Amino acid sequence: MEEMNVRKIKDYIVYTEGLEKTYKDNGLEVKAVRGIDLRLKSGEFTAVVGPSGSGKTTLLNIISGLDTATRGEVWLKGRLLSKMKKRELADFRRDNIGFIFQAYNLIPVLRVEENVEYIMLLQGVNKLERHKRVLEILDEVGLQGMGNRLPPKLSGGQQQRVAIARAMVSRPALILADEPTANLDSKTGGALLDMMKELNRKTGMTFLFSTHDNIVVERARRVITLQDGKILKDEVKER
Amino acid sequence: MVLLKIAFRNIFRQRRRTLFTALSMFGGFILAAFFIGWADGTYNGIIDMFTRNRLGHIQIHEKDYLDRPSLYKTINDMSVINRTLEEVSGVESWTPRLYTAGLASLDDKTAGVQILGIDPVRENKTTSFNKKIIEGRAFSSASAAEVILGKGLAEILKAGVEDEIVVISQAADGSIANDIYRLIGITESGDEMTDRTAFYLPLEEAQKFLVLEGRVHEVAVTINNLNDVERIHRIIEEKLDNPRLSVEPWQEFARSFYMAMKADKEGMWIMLVVIIIIVAVGVLNTVLMSVLERQREYGVLRAVGTKPSQVIRIVLLEITFLALFCIVAGAIAGLLINTYFASHGLSLSNPITYGGIEIRAMRSEINTRSFFIPALIVLLSAGFVSLFPALKAARTDPARSMRFH
Ligand SMILES: Nc1ncnc2c1ncn2[C@@H]1O[C@H](COP(=O)(O)OP(=O)(O)O)[C@@H](O)[C@H]1O
Ligand SMILES: [Mg+2]
Repeated sequence: MEEMNVRKIKDYIVYTEGLEKTYKDNGLEVKAVRGIDLRLKSGEFTAVVGPSGSGKTTLLNIISGLDTATRGEVWLKGRLLSKMKKRELADFRRDNIGFIFQAYNLIPVLRVEENVEYIMLLQGVNKLERHKRVLEILDEVGLQGMGNRLPPKLSGGQQQRVAIARAMVSRPALILADEPTANLDSKTGGALLDMMKELNRKTGMTFLFSTHDNIVVERARRVITLQDGKILKDEVKER
Repeated sequence: MVLLKIAFRNIFRQRRRTLFTALSMFGGFILAAFFIGWADGTYNGIIDMFTRNRLGHIQIHEKDYLDRPSLYKTINDMSVINRTLEEVSGVESWTPRLYTAGLASLDDKTAGVQILGIDPVRENKTTSFNKKIIEGRAFSSASAAEVILGKGLAEILKAGVEDEIVVISQAADGSIANDIYRLIGITESGDEMTDRTAFYLPLEEAQKFLVLEGRVHEVAVTINNLNDVERIHRIIEEKLDNPRLSVEPWQEFARSFYMAMKADKEGMWIMLVVIIIIVAVGVLNTVLMSVLERQREYGVLRAVGTKPSQVIRIVLLEITFLALFCIVAGAIAGLLINTYFASHGLSLSNPITYGGIEIRAMRSEINTRSFFIPALIVLLSAGFVSLFPALKAARTDPARSMRFH
């Protein structure tokens, strides 16, 4: 039974069981997440949707280990996060998860290529390889020739492209994107999503979005709807 | 490397704030450099003037002479001392002296005196003796039967130039020494106490008078640079290598003067504490402000795998860069200021007197510690107060810092 369970967990890139999160805010308890079992297979392109305050960000943060659950467990690539030491978890996150946030994604004093390169620098990837991969990914996100720019000089859409490039450049298994289109107009957001979907198709990286934006919902292959910290619906689209 | 880049570029983000931080460090550096140069310069100036007037920077005696002076505790071989001092570089000049007590009288006036046998040429070279003669003339030779009196003593005896003074003392062979000397000059050293008892004889005459031919009680040495006194005093001691002799720097034989100077110098440290506070407050404020402002960035850095220690390094490197820049700029400005006050000095409209010496101008001094100490102050106080914001930055919780409401 136990063994079967492990086998089952190993089949998923994200596997959570009974996740709960209670915040204590001035003595007031806020139940942000109440019992979520979420399973993602490698290569998925999935959106978690729900109104503001439904627990999307909290869920993503717990999955990535940036936040800890009050109850329940998370396995990433079959590894139990709660069993990892702090340092180990930080390295594991760096090597396996790419982050895209709503805004303020980039280090403003680092040039586009330096921002993209940053994680590889922490990983100790050699210069030649770094350079090659930065050029490739900037090409893929449509920012060729912009490597020398500083983020504040770019439009919101371009900044998000840099963030996507940074998240993907070290080829992590999982990309977590928390409301990536919230600060963009629909045209820019749509283009960005199309681009990510194409990258997902080409690389097989798993994407998990949180959003309440239709642009994302339309393009997701699977849509999980949250309400009051619980999964209300879990639909896989045809096609 | 990339951390260095972030730290360096962060300097230029909030120019006004950076300028403010830099100014407090730059200002602190210059203040400290000036105060140290000034304090060292004026104190050394006072010490130099005080010691050069009579005492010298270094003295040589028979071993116990300073503790319990006695006619019999003499330095017997001046030729070795002359040869040794000749060889030590940094020694400017030296002069031998003979001391004893006696009784001087003129007509019906009598006074206790301190008889000082001095080498006319060497004494003048070492302590500018002749300049202090306010009436009459200098000794004609080392063996002349002449006397020069301190101003106060001349007044007590109601003596004038050309008077003949009788003096009595005890000679080294136990006999009574007495003789008559012609008064040829009156001197004012600036120290009234000394001038009330000073009875100067030419050295050879004094030696004959006391039956101490070839012997002296004291050798006063002056050196070129007061700051070398410790070193040169040790060299002389080693070269003489004579356990019967003691070589002392001015700090030892002018102990009470030294303690007074030292107490005055403590004031400098209080000033330095004030400067540390200026730097600390200026830096803490701005570093804390930028850390709070950049909380989201530190959150992103932490989220993508930057270690807390690396975040600390970013914050500390930024302030270190700025501090180093301020130190270099401050050193240049401080050098200019101290050079100006070292060469021009500040003349005092009301000259101050210290131990009988009149001081008309104060000068700064240029030395390594007037740059070294301010650099250390700026670097350490800036680094220290930045530690707290740096730790705060390192402890940024990525999940919290990036939350939108
Ligand atoms: N650090 C926190 N302290 C207290 N309450 C929090 C905290 N973070 C989130 N919450 C609360 O948890 C609930 C879920 O928030 P969140 O996960 O941000 O939802 P969403 O991302 O779907 O808008 C909300 O009610 C929110 O106010
Ligand atoms: Mg959210």
